[in-house]
Amino acid sequence: MSQAATATEAANTNGGVLHPLGEKFNPNTSKPQNLVGWLFGGTGLALFALMALVGLLMRFTQADTVGVSPEWFYRLMTLHASGMLAGALLSMMGGLWFVVRAVVPGLSLGRAIASWLAIVAGAVLIVVAVLIGGFAAGWTFLFPLPFDASGQWSTWAAVTFIIGMGLVGVGFMVYCIDVLKATTQAYGGLSGALGVKWLRGKDPTGPPPQVIAATAVTIQGVICSAVGMTIVMALLDHTIDGQVALDALWAKNLTYFFGHTIANLIIYLAAGMIYVLVPLYAGRQWKLSKPLAIGWLFTIVFVMTAYSHHLYMDFVQPGAPQMISLVASSAAAIPVAVVTIYTGMMLIWGSRFRWTLTSVLLYLGFAGWAIGGSGAVIDSLIPINFRLHNTLWVPAHFHNYLMMGVGMWMMALVSYMLERAAGRTASRRTTIWAPLLMVGGGYGFIFSWYISGALGIPRRWAVQPIGTENYSLVASIFAIVFLIGFFMLLLEFFSLARTALARRREAPPEPALASIAGASTEADLALGNAPEPLLRSPFGIAVTVGLAVIASFALLPPISEASEATIGFHHLAHAVQFFIGAMLAAALASTPAIARRITPRWTNIGLITVILLPAGMLLFMIPAIYTDIEDENFLHASYHFVVLILGFLLGLGASTLGRTAGWAVLISSVGMGLMFAAGVTGG
Amino acid sequence: MEVSFGSFQVAVLMAFLFVTMALVTIFVVVARQSSRNVAFETVTDTGYRLRRAWLAFLVLLLGSGVVLSLFFLPFPGDSKATATVNVSGGLFYWSMNPETIPVGSEVSFDVTSADVNHGLGIYDPDGVLMGSVQAMPGYHNQLDLTFDKPGTYMMACLEYCGFKHHDMMKEFEVTQ
Repeated sequence: MSQAATATEAANTNGGVLHPLGEKFNPNTSKPQNLVGWLFGGTGLALFALMALVGLLMRFTQADTVGVSPEWFYRLMTLHASGMLAGALLSMMGGLWFVVRAVVPGLSLGRAIASWLAIVAGAVLIVVAVLIGGFAAGWTFLFPLPFDASGQWSTWAAVTFIIGMGLVGVGFMVYCIDVLKATTQAYGGLSGALGVKWLRGKDPTGPPPQVIAATAVTIQGVICSAVGMTIVMALLDHTIDGQVALDALWAKNLTYFFGHTIANLIIYLAAGMIYVLVPLYAGRQWKLSKPLAIGWLFTIVFVMTAYSHHLYMDFVQPGAPQMISLVASSAAAIPVAVVTIYTGMMLIWGSRFRWTLTSVLLYLGFAGWAIGGSGAVIDSLIPINFRLHNTLWVPAHFHNYLMMGVGMWMMALVSYMLERAAGRTASRRTTIWAPLLMVGGGYGFIFSWYISGALGIPRRWAVQPIGTENYSLVASIFAIVFLIGFFMLLLEFFSLARTALARRREAPPEPALASIAGASTEADLALGNAPEPLLRSPFGIAVTVGLAVIASFALLPPISEASEATIGFHHLAHAVQFFIGAMLAAALASTPAIARRITPRWTNIGLITVILLPAGMLLFMIPAIYTDIEDENFLHASYHFVVLILGFLLGLGASTLGRTAGWAVLISSVGMGLMFAAGVTGG
Repeated sequence: MEVSFGSFQVAVLMAFLFVTMALVTIFVVVARQSSRNVAFETVTDTGYRLRRAWLAFLVLLLGSGVVLSLFFLPFPGDSKATATVNVSGGLFYWSMNPETIPVGSEVSFDVTSADVNHGLGIYDPDGVLMGSVQAMPGYHNQLDLTFDKPGTYMMACLEYCGFKHHDMMKEFEVTQ
């Protein structure tokens, strides 16, 4: 037996940590999985701990006891929300990657680490913007507040924050593209990886549930990140060139589409992890079923259309998104309640469930998701939202499912890895007391907000209305109780980590990381896993070229000149030029002569291309660049040609990512140009 | 600013507490049943049957919520307003014209912003939040409200707008 195999076997020996029958579901772990699990899970939990302390300081401030000035309160509020978002996102990205890598070896460790680096770099910039630059426009950075600081921060702080949020989006996008590419490549394209082929009887086995979750989440993640990048680039354009004007309603739509969706997807990332972890303690497998596959298809639709509930009180928002959101926000609860949580309860019922610290946390996470989700659904009904919008009911419900749902799962991920590595469970005392204190403290903390919301207290107020400070004081005390439980848990984690390290020292060495880091690319090459061409038939290539030809009519002088009439149409013309380039490249790269030359070695360059070029295109669309050259025919034509070339390079880059991920980024990148045209004017 | 519970909000809170208690009961029951040894086929036989009922119940419950909502939308329709009040939010003030409202009026607020996004929340003399609407730069949101009770009302900002967000309040009178 090789050293690597021995090491893996040693790591997989759980020492009775799991249910006796759960052992067979325990995912084999490789070094990349462990590395990603520790790195993402550990960073996420560290951010959770730090931001929790920041949150406590904010509640004490609202209680009018010890605290900080309003100026600092709002800075810390911005930091707390951004940091928690980055932490929870990182943690659950890592958790899903950990379980999916066991069945999809094509996931790249290098790209996962690149994603982590981008998000951590984004978090560092956010910290700099807030703590040094004094930025305090909230994590939602609603335009034009970042640029109307009332003397509290300067433009560099706003730009630093915006780039920081952009990097978080980039990190998530890198992750989503790589996971989407790998799952669809391993399970027969998008319909295969989403279980649609299996539903239609064309695939006898179907993908495991965690693969369906990963595919569904990451395709939404690509779209959501593209929307986020559009608003980020528009804000940067505005900074570079003051002539660039953004429509406030448009900016709000994009910001909330990005913010709501990315926050919501954290929970669905977690769901994929739950499908693997809960069976380990129940001894029953979480199998693919028709409700599960259908539920995820509906989830994609509902999650992508629910964001407008953040704009219910913008009465000028068109009626269609408001009504769609009203239905989607309630409907999104059905797959969760009927499929995921319900199935989880069936797996646990009568299973002689193995209660350890990890499984207790997993179980509590379900409760947090269910209760917080109910609070969210209630607030998503428009007449109720009319009286609860932006009151403390809002932080109540999202802390309910993020802190008591996702937060529990963040801890469960690290706890699972520690108990597994240590070969022992956490102490009985911690297993009982830490969750008990966190539940008592956490729900007490959150319910003081629900009650305050019913009282009509606005959210995000540094100074609470007269006579209501005691709600904050009570909440602060409950928060301390939660934190005592949480730090008790962290102490147990250190103890488990010590045991794990001692155990590891006795185990044979594992293979060097360098050889593993490139393993996915090498495996892809060995398996002949070249990316599928974007178009698989001559007919598809012909249709795509045809689309580019039709779009090229926009280049004809009368239409081109007419597009100069308004800034919106001018930007639309840019988007069309970008589209023409992208379609031509997609067609060209799909021809057999080119397609067979595209190997996995090109993936990283392709990934960098599809992230940088759409952003570059939007950065290129500012009056400061194009106004002066409009009278110079050659320069003017060259400008539009550059946009077309950017589109062409995007198409080439997308063709290295396989059919599903390639088309997802290609369509969403062209969509970025269209969205930009819809809301950015000036000049 | 003083706040107090409105009957509507209390009803919502009670409904939520009821749902929470029901969910807690379910989670406690499942946790207690987890230590038993029941064949999974037995669990699924009953579980799948119950799931259909659970699905039907949820569709009915959530569908009723959505349909009922449609009858009580706060969006401006065919306004029967007897008065129009122009409201503009700015860092960190509310301007309002006219500044007093006759009791019994059905008022149409024309709400906008002079700078960043704000949120107009109106509290009645008892401190109950009557409703809210966003104040956005470049847009005019119309909020229709009826003022049956005389007294001192309060406008407060419900969209975070900067370091004096919590100070952005204005009183106005509804007179006989």
